[in-house]
Amino acid sequence: MTIVVITAVYAAYIVFWARFLMHALVWWRAVQRSSPEVPAPSSIKACALTFLDSVLFARLFRVDPALWFAEWSFHASLLLVLLRHLRYFLDPVPAWVWAVQTPGLIAGFLLPFTLGLVFAIRSSRRDEQYTSRPNMILLLLVLLLSVKGLVMNLWLRPNLVDVKLFVLGILRLDPSPLPAQGLFLIHFAMALLLFAFIPTHIFTAPIVMMEARKRQQALRLVMHDE
Amino acid sequence: MTNKRSFSHELLPRQVLEIDACTQCGECLKHCPIQDVHKNPLIAPPEKIRMFREFLRSTDGLKAQLFGLGHVDPKLLEDFTKAVYECTTCGACGQNCPVGIFTQRLWPMLRKEMVKRGLGPIGVQANLPKAIADSGNPYDKPAKERYAPWFPEQVRIEERSSIAYYAGCTGAYEAQPMVRGDVLVMHAAGEPFTMLPPEEEVCCGFPLFITGQHDLLKDLVLRLVEGYRARDVKTLVCSCPCCVNIMSRDWPIFYGKPLPFKIRHITQYAADALLSGKLKIKSSLNESVIYHDPCYLSRGVGVIEEPRAVLRSIPGLKLLEFDRHGLNSRCCGSGGAARKVFHENAIAMGRQTIDEAVAKKADRLILGCPACYAKVNEAMVGHTNQVKITDIMELVSGLI
Repeated sequence: MTIVVITAVYAAYIVFWARFLMHALVWWRAVQRSSPEVPAPSSIKACALTFLDSVLFARLFRVDPALWFAEWSFHASLLLVLLRHLRYFLDPVPAWVWAVQTPGLIAGFLLPFTLGLVFAIRSSRRDEQYTSRPNMILLLLVLLLSVKGLVMNLWLRPNLVDVKLFVLGILRLDPSPLPAQGLFLIHFAMALLLFAFIPTHIFTAPIVMMEARKRQQALRLVMHDE
Repeated sequence: MTNKRSFSHELLPRQVLEIDACTQCGECLKHCPIQDVHKNPLIAPPEKIRMFREFLRSTDGLKAQLFGLGHVDPKLLEDFTKAVYECTTCGACGQNCPVGIFTQRLWPMLRKEMVKRGLGPIGVQANLPKAIADSGNPYDKPAKERYAPWFPEQVRIEERSSIAYYAGCTGAYEAQPMVRGDVLVMHAAGEPFTMLPPEEEVCCGFPLFITGQHDLLKDLVLRLVEGYRARDVKTLVCSCPCCVNIMSRDWPIFYGKPLPFKIRHITQYAADALLSGKLKIKSSLNESVIYHDPCYLSRGVGVIEEPRAVLRSIPGLKLLEFDRHGLNSRCCGSGGAARKVFHENAIAMGRQTIDEAVAKKADRLILGCPACYAKVNEAMVGHTNQVKITDIMELVSGLI
C-alpha cells in the first residue's frame, strides 16, 4: 500500500509539472512572437492596483461585492490552511509557520462555510447561466478536503508524528511507512488530486491583471492629449 | 479536422495569456448583451474561451509538440465560429472581468484566426472585402452618393487645411442626419476644414478588422493617411466611434509609424469649440434627454465626458443616464458587424435601449454612433415603446 501511495504522490508531482510545462510552452511560444501593439506604460499606481487585484480581488469586489466576500474569504482561508500544513513539510519548522497555526486552525473551521457561501451565491444567481464543470469539481474537492480535515482534527486524529515522517520521507526521496489511518489516506489522495489539477490561471491571472490596470490608465491617452 | 497551423498564430502574446487567465467564473454573463436577449451559454464569453483553449492545446500543447498537431472536433469549431461572430464585440464582458481580459480586442483576433482557417466570416460579412475593393465602402454604394445627398450647400470645403473631417461609410450612407450635423457644427465653429474627395474617402478598415478579414487593411490605411498628409492635415475629426477606434488604435500599426495627425471625435472638437467660444448654442431645449455611450467610443477610446459636456451646454436640457453608462455602457446591438447577420439579436438589444430610455422618461434618446443610429431607428419600427432618436451633432446643429 505504501508503495502505491508513494507512486501516486510522485505521479501527481509529475502531472503538476507536465501541466505547468505544457502551459508554459504555450506562453513561451506566444511571447517569442513580436507584437505590433505598443505596450501601455507601467507605473507605480498600476503596480499597486494590480497588487490589490491579486491579493484582495479588487476587480471582483467592484463587479460583485457579495461574491467577492465569499471568494476572498474562501481563498484567504485556504491559504492559511495551506500555510498551517507547512509544518508537515519543513524540519525544523520556522517560527512564522508556528505563528500561523492558530489562524490556520480558525481558517480550517471557516473554510467549509466560505465554500458553502460561494456555492450558495452562485446557485442563487438566475442571471448567471454559465457553470464551469472543472471549477465546480475542484471546489467540491476542496470542500470535501476541508470537511475531512476538520473531522480528523476533531475526532479521528491520525498520528501526526507518522504523518510528518511520511511526508518528509517523500520529500527526501526516502519513503517512510504510511500512517495507519484510512481517513488520512483519503484526505491525502484528494490533496494529491487537487495538486495535480490546480488551475493554471493562478499563474497567468496576475499578469493579465497588471496589463488591464496599465491599459485602464492609458485609456485616456488614446484620444486625449496628456 | 486535423490542424495545419497553430491556433495562437493570429493572437498577440498578451492574448494567449488572457485565454489561459480566464477563471471561468461567469461574472461577465451579467454584462453580456447577447445573454440579455437569449440565454444561450454556448455564446457566453467563458465558453468561447474554454473552446478556444481546447483548440490551442491541440496545436500548441505539450502533446502536440511531442506527437504532432492534434485533431479538433469540427462541430466544436463550427459552434465556436458562430459564437464568436454572434458577439457584438462591445467589450462589456472584459470591462467587468475580475481578471481584466481585454475582450473588445480578443474577439476580433479570434475571428481573424477563424478567417485564416476558412471558417469565418458569416453570411454577408464575406462580401465586405470585394465591396470595399470595388466601391471603397462596405455598402457597395457609388462614391458619387457618398456626400451629395446630405452635404449642406452653404458649407465650403478647403483644398488644404490643418483640420479634416472624415464622414465614414455608415454615416454617409446609413445615418445621414448625423454626418450632416457634424459638418454644420464644424462650419459653425468657423474653422476651415478639408475633406477627401468622395472617391478617395474610402472605408477606414473597421468592418474588415472586426470581421477578421485583414488582407486589405494596410492598403486602405496607407491611402487614407497619405491623402490627409498631402492636405497638410494635423487633426482628423470623425464622428463614427468604430472609425475613431481603428484610426487611433490600429492605423499607426498598419501605417508602420505614428500618424502625422491627431484623431479627434466630433464631440471632442465640439466641446473644445464651445469652451473656446468658437461655437455658441443660441437656442434652448426644454427636454430630458438620455445619452447612450457607444461601446467603441467609451470603452474603446475613453471618450466619455465630452459628449456630456456638449449636451450640458444646451440651455434647458436635462441630461439623464442609463443604468449602465460610461465605461459600463450596454451595447445597443449594432456592434461587431453582427447587426446584418444576427438581425433579431440586434433588434432585441436596440429595443432594450429604447425601453430603458422610455422607462427613464426621456423625451429624446441621444446617440453618437451611425451604426447605433441606423439599428436603433430600425428597432423602433413596430415597437410598442417610442422615443425620439437624435444624433448628438444633429441635435446641436439645430440649436446653433
